[in-house]
Amino acid sequence: MVDLENFKNRLKIAKNKQKNSSKTVGNNRNSSSMGSAFKLSTDLVAHVVVGTIIGFILDSWFDTKPWLIIIFFFLGSVAGILNVIKTARQMQEKE
Amino acid sequence: MATNPMHQFQVHRIGPEIKIAGIDLSFTNASLFMLLSAVAICGLLFLGTKEKKIIPGKFQLISEIFYNFIAKMISDTAGSKAKPYFPFIFSLFMFVLFCNMLGMLPYSFTVTSHIIVTLMLAIFIFIAVTIIGFLKHGFGYLKLFVPSGVPVILLPLITVIEIISYLSRPVSLSVRLFANMMAGHTMLKVFGGFVISLGMLGGWLPLGFSVALTGLEILVAFLQAYVFAILTCIYLNDALNLHH
Repeated sequence: MVDLENFKNRLKIAKNKQKNSSKTVGNNRNSSSMGSAFKLSTDLVAHVVVGTIIGFILDSWFDTKPWLIIIFFFLGSVAGILNVIKTARQMQEKE
Repeated sequence: MATNPMHQFQVHRIGPEIKIAGIDLSFTNASLFMLLSAVAICGLLFLGTKEKKIIPGKFQLISEIFYNFIAKMISDTAGSKAKPYFPFIFSLFMFVLFCNMLGMLPYSFTVTSHIIVTLMLAIFIFIAVTIIGFLKHGFGYLKLFVPSGVPVILLPLITVIEIISYLSRPVSLSVRLFANMMAGHTMLKVFGGFVISLGMLGGWLPLGFSVALTGLEILVAFLQAYVFAILTCIYLNDALNLHH
C-alpha cells in the first residue's frame, strides 16, 4: 500500500499547515462573536416582551389592571439586563 | 404587485384544497419548500455516504464537514452526555440551514421568514428540553430557578426573574431567526425596487448594494442556522448538567 503511505504523509503535512495558520481560528471566532451579538440583542428584547405578556395575563386573571403589567415590565427589563451581563461574563471567561 | 417588498412572503395554495375536520391542510408553497429542503438534505447525505472512500469525493467531503462541525459544537457546548441528541441537533441545523439557503435563490420562498415555522421549532425544543430536564433530575430541575448564593430576601424576586428568563427562551430563539430572515429579504427586495425605479441613470448604486447585501444575507443565513443549533445545545446543556 504505497498509495496509502503517501496519503498519510500528505495528510500529516496538511494538518500541520492547518495548525500553523492562525487565520482560520480568527475567522471562526469572528463569526461566533457575530452570533453572540445576535443572541444578546434579541434576548434583551425577548425578556422585556415576555415579562410584559406575563404581567398582562396575570392582570386579567386577578383583575388588578394596570399594576402587574407595570411590575412585570420592569422585572422583564431587569431579567434581560441580568441575562446580558451573565452572557457577557461567560464570553469574557472563555477568552 | 411584484414591486411590493412583502409580496414574496405570501403563502399560496398549490393544487387542490384539502380540508380535514375544518383545518386547512392544503399543500402550499411553504410546504413545497420544506419538502424541497428535506429532499435536498437527504440527497446530499445519501450521495455523501454512498461510497465510503479514504480520499473523499465532493459530496462525501461536504457531509463529513457538516458532521464534524455539529459533533464538535455539541461536545464543546453540552459535553459528552449530549451525544445521544446528535441526530436531533444535526437534523435541526440542516433543516434551518437548507431552508435559509433555498430562500436565497431567486423566485424561491423562505420558509424560515414565517414566525409560525420558527416558533413551532422553538416551542418543540423548549418542551423537549424541559421534559429531558425533569426526566434526568426529577423535581431537582426546579433548582434552575433558585440560584445558589442569593440572600433569602432577594430569593422570590430572583426566582421570578429566572422564570421570565426561562420562558423567554422560545420567544428569543424564534424571533431571532424569523426577524433576521424577513428583514434581510425585505431589504433585498426594496433595493431591487430602487434599481427599477431609478433606471439606467441612478440604478447602479442600489444594484451594487443589492450584490453586497446578497453576500451578507448568505452569511446571515448560515449564521442564524448556527446560532439556532448552538442555543439548542446550550439549553440542552442546562437540562443535562444542572449547575447554576
